[in-house]
Amino acid sequence: MSVTRSVIRKNFYRDSIQLLKISEEAKKLPGVLDAAVVMGTETNKEILEKLGLLTREARVSSENDMVISLRAESEEASVDVMKKIEEILMKPPAAERAFYSLDAALEAMPDANLAIVSIPGEHAREVVLPLLERGVNVHLFSDHVPVADELELKKIAREKGLLVMGPGAGTSIINNVAVAFADVVNRGPIGIVAAAGTGLQEVSVLVSQAGLGVSQAIGVGGGDVKKAVGGIMTLDGIKALEADPETRIVTLVSKPPDTQVQAAIMDYIKTKCKKGYVTCFVGGETIPIGKDLKKRIRQTRTLHAAALESIRAVDEVKYKKAMRVISLEPDALRRMADKTCGKLGKGQRYLRGLYTGGTLAYETMILLKETIGDIYSNAPLDKKLILADPYKSFQNTVVDLGEEEYTKGRAHPMMDPTVRRIRLIGEASDPEVALIAMDFVLGYGSHADPVGAHAEAIQNAQKTAGEDGRYLPILAHVCGTDKDPQNLASQVERLERLGAMVLPTNALMALLAWIIVERGEVKDSTLDQAYDRYLAAV
Amino acid sequence: MKKRKAVKKKGKKSLKEAKASKLFGSPLKVINIGLDVFYQALKEQGAEAVQVSWKPPVKLEKEYKNILDKIL
Repeated sequence: MSVTRSVIRKNFYRDSIQLLKISEEAKKLPGVLDAAVVMGTETNKEILEKLGLLTREARVSSENDMVISLRAESEEASVDVMKKIEEILMKPPAAERAFYSLDAALEAMPDANLAIVSIPGEHAREVVLPLLERGVNVHLFSDHVPVADELELKKIAREKGLLVMGPGAGTSIINNVAVAFADVVNRGPIGIVAAAGTGLQEVSVLVSQAGLGVSQAIGVGGGDVKKAVGGIMTLDGIKALEADPETRIVTLVSKPPDTQVQAAIMDYIKTKCKKGYVTCFVGGETIPIGKDLKKRIRQTRTLHAAALESIRAVDEVKYKKAMRVISLEPDALRRMADKTCGKLGKGQRYLRGLYTGGTLAYETMILLKETIGDIYSNAPLDKKLILADPYKSFQNTVVDLGEEEYTKGRAHPMMDPTVRRIRLIGEASDPEVALIAMDFVLGYGSHADPVGAHAEAIQNAQKTAGEDGRYLPILAHVCGTDKDPQNLASQVERLERLGAMVLPTNALMALLAWIIVERGEVKDSTLDQAYDRYLAAV
Repeated sequence: MKKRKAVKKKGKKSLKEAKASKLFGSPLKVINIGLDVFYQALKEQGAEAVQVSWKPPVKLEKEYKNILDKIL
């Protein structure tokens, strides 16, 4: 008979990724049926409950406590395993040369030119300030950095001619090195400044798949284009790329900036810049541009269009190739939908988007708002459409599983598939679900095999629906390249073997989801109109 | 006087641009503070990197803090 037990270690800290690794190791120990080693945050307690691992002790733990919960085959096994987990916990850090202070690290590397900072946001300022003093550029991954700190750090950086990429910057590519969550892409003439992490990833991988490449990709964090910060690093990033001889085209990617910030950015590139620009303010307004500038500054509404226009601005031949490699014509989408619609039951009406990439989830909601209508979410476009319970979908729902309600004290879902696996099975049991759309983001930082980590859950979801007499279409988009450690081609192939329909871009996946939810009853003219609006330059 | 000021300003600007392009032109030398997974990724890519194992500063209870403040 199985035994569930927990040990609580009071005031004991390990970061969420170390804990994820320990959990994975613990699950593999003999006699273990399931295990989770987490900090005792409310989110983690919720997940422990869904996994059947929330014991009485775990329930009363605090977010400063570490919870080791496991289900073992027997009482004896549970005691042994608990001992082994404690041993794993006490292992020294994996880095062969880890320093315990910034000063020591700076002494060892006095000519450091970049720092990646991923510590709790309230402590970021005290770590970043001395780095800037020493002339080190910073990629600040941390979230929850107070806006006053962000503004102060960025002003100091500007004064010193340094970059502060972030806070909340998930991705940068500097000198062809993937920084934090980033893909391995070709080096080339397209520079990117992005206030949207997975937006940067999507554009950079699409450009690379088409045979072009990226010179530098500067992630500035979503807060940079808000009124309080005023686009300081977006503008400094533009300046740096404008001065960079390798960069020919600069692509700007962001959710809608503050109106004044957007105006300042556009004004800057209109009047102070010489290079070609492609803007993609997903869900934002485009602005009137004089005829004389239309060739130099191209505005787009989706990441798909931004990638294609960036390619077109550099190389018409590569653009034609890109149209074949990363795009699909409306007819092809319709054919894919036709194959599926006939298999759906009458009651299957709604789509469920289970996303790990925030910008991708957002882009999908933008596309579906004008095609399907109301899309409920934990991070909706309109506050009225917020899910009452983030763990329960309602009608058409798109969730961003990287948001705080799912990640407080946990690793991001691009690394840890647990929350999405649970969600997937839940959606499959809902008879009103017409399709599930999922993103799989590859690259450094992400799970070593994201599709493999979901394979069993996808099969179980299909089985659950099948036992109820339903066909459950799964749409997938893989954001990555063949140079990524996970390899794009093998991830796509695995998904296709699992019966998923794999789309080359997120925007195409959203359009296909729309046609399927409408049971193929979308007029040609309506489809063409949506296609032109979202997948071409303005 | 005005002219001299303008010259000084121009010099400062070009220094800033030089620093940004210096990052782009040089091999990366990275200090990673926090998540070990980013350090490992840099090493796998052949970038020069060092890791700082960061821990939150110990929060002292007020009573102990007062005592320490008196002693130190």
